[in-house]
Amino acid sequence: MHAGKISREHGSLMGKMKEVRAFERELLEHIDMFKLAREEDDAEMESESLKALLRMRRNSKEKELQALLSGELDSCSCYIEVQAGAGGTESMDWAAMVMQMYKLWAQRNGYKVTVVDEMPGEIAGIKRATIKVDGEYTFGYAKAEVGVHRLVRISPFDSNKRRHTSFAAVAVIPILGDESSHVQINETDLRIERFRAGGAGGQHVNTTESAIRIVHIPTGVSATCQNERSQHQNKASAMAVLQSRLDQLEMARQAQMNAQHTQSLTDITWGSQIRSYVLHPYRMVKDLRTNYEVSDPDSVLGGDLDGFILSYLSAFLDKDEGDR
Amino acid sequence: MKLSFTRSCCPFNFSTSFKRSLCANLHWPVFSSLVSSRPTSLKPQTPLFLRPAMHSAPVSDLRKWRDWAKNLASSVGTTFLDLDNGPDSSLLCRELKWLMEDAIEDHSLFFQMGIEHDHTNVRLRAGIEELYNMWKQRIEERRPFQYIVGCEHWRDLVLSVQEGVLIPRPETELIVDLVADVVSENEGLKEGLWADLGTGSGALAIGIGRILGSHGAVIATDLSPISLSVAAFNLQRYGLQDTVELRQGSWFKPLKDVEGKLAGIVSNPPYIPMENISGLQAEVGRHEPRLALDGGPSGMDDLFHLCNGAASMLKPSGFFIFEVWIL
Repeated sequence: MHAGKISREHGSLMGKMKEVRAFERELLEHIDMFKLAREEDDAEMESESLKALLRMRRNSKEKELQALLSGELDSCSCYIEVQAGAGGTESMDWAAMVMQMYKLWAQRNGYKVTVVDEMPGEIAGIKRATIKVDGEYTFGYAKAEVGVHRLVRISPFDSNKRRHTSFAAVAVIPILGDESSHVQINETDLRIERFRAGGAGGQHVNTTESAIRIVHIPTGVSATCQNERSQHQNKASAMAVLQSRLDQLEMARQAQMNAQHTQSLTDITWGSQIRSYVLHPYRMVKDLRTNYEVSDPDSVLGGDLDGFILSYLSAFLDKDEGDR
Repeated sequence: MKLSFTRSCCPFNFSTSFKRSLCANLHWPVFSSLVSSRPTSLKPQTPLFLRPAMHSAPVSDLRKWRDWAKNLASSVGTTFLDLDNGPDSSLLCRELKWLMEDAIEDHSLFFQMGIEHDHTNVRLRAGIEELYNMWKQRIEERRPFQYIVGCEHWRDLVLSVQEGVLIPRPETELIVDLVADVVSENEGLKEGLWADLGTGSGALAIGIGRILGSHGAVIATDLSPISLSVAAFNLQRYGLQDTVELRQGSWFKPLKDVEGKLAGIVSNPPYIPMENISGLQAEVGRHEPRLALDGGPSGMDDLFHLCNGAASMLKPSGFFIFEVWIL
């Protein structure tokens, strides 16, 4: 049995190596062709080999992505949650900026974004928010963002124009596509809370507020939704978030999968800083895990995250391989 | 008291408490299409989100309107909340977002547009001046948001509402859940005839009609002609004209022919004591129909009437579910 498995794996790896070697050979051939075409001033041949090279580049990008996003859950859609760190309005504003960054990132990539839950700060920003990002491989990419994001800037909320450091924590939860893998939720284990201001309700009050909070009593895990326009739909959205949270919890318990995949917001220690965004005195965004850096924070905050994500994924991949 | 839910919603089982003659065989007329009592003169208003996008405005103008509206909403702070439990600015800002969703044909695109799109025209379901008016009415007159956009999202439905028709409340959604529960345990109730008394926008009748499916039937009554025309519009939108029949009249009056034949009765009758009407939240007291709110001196007038009448209207083991909120 075991020998058979090993032998199959061996075969598959040999196949892959063969593919890589063939790819390499093809690449060299095309380069030689291109050089030759240049020397002989053959425009037609030059453009043909250039085309072939471009095709190979596309091909290799695809292959690279396939290798990076081969995790079991990578192809799932996901929730992204951002929570402001300590520090009041300053951090809440930063949390809102981080959330906006992910919304823009998702838009750039053609993913669908839905705000599920948003708790605004008193003066500005958000205390916490959850968005749903629908699209292929959104979890695979977004998981690279899990951790604490740090901002250094001159505070717009400080009349003395002092430099402030703020933190925001990011969690990413996969949405399992396969119904059968969901954790069974017992209706009787749920406490459903409907938010109502004051004691009155029914005909006495007309409000568009129809927030719902669902608590899973055995685990204490909860989910809130207030962005839909009916209570019924808020409940459905909150249930979906709760389901994903419980699924994630269960996965963590059962498989003890990689910590990065399964950490939920509350588990992220404020020490697990992954990226630093400095707007003052110099301008730079630097990933502390990969040392990948960009000197234009505006573009990053505008959603240009792919460089960070890909460099993290490939570093993670290499590390993963090295561990074996 | 913030989170708990204090409405008593009482499923009564009348079969044990009332002596009844043997149940007449189950045959009531087959109800199809709308009945003649539907007033033809009242044409219901079309909700904003269903209007054709005949207007347009440059992105910059729309953004200007939004910023103005946001400022107006922010200036409210907690004034309304402190005054009469009305909306605070964060709730108003959320409503503003929904207003944009209903008014702008391609709203998700608008939310992404940057300064470079300032001169692009956006197609709208209401003119920009009308949008200014709408938001002014919302803030200055406290006109309910649902009347402004002409609809209320209720359960999984989007119901048309307008002045003269009570805006269905989120709590009332639970009555449909209760009906779903009793119906799932009793096939007889599922195939029986139900009545929604004082249907308003038709919310309960539609919610229940969708649960009963093709076997059941619902009669929805209301005294108000405007309500009936709005309910008819909503029924049509959900294709329930053959399941739900509308009848005009007070409580049981239009139901003489089905006495003793009803499997279930649901109602959200007026239950606010008369003397409390003047102190209500402005959105309710100033704009919603008194007919749907005022429950007489005790607040219980209509409820007592319904409880008394329900006994003779229901067949044995029938259900009566109503809403009441005692402060």
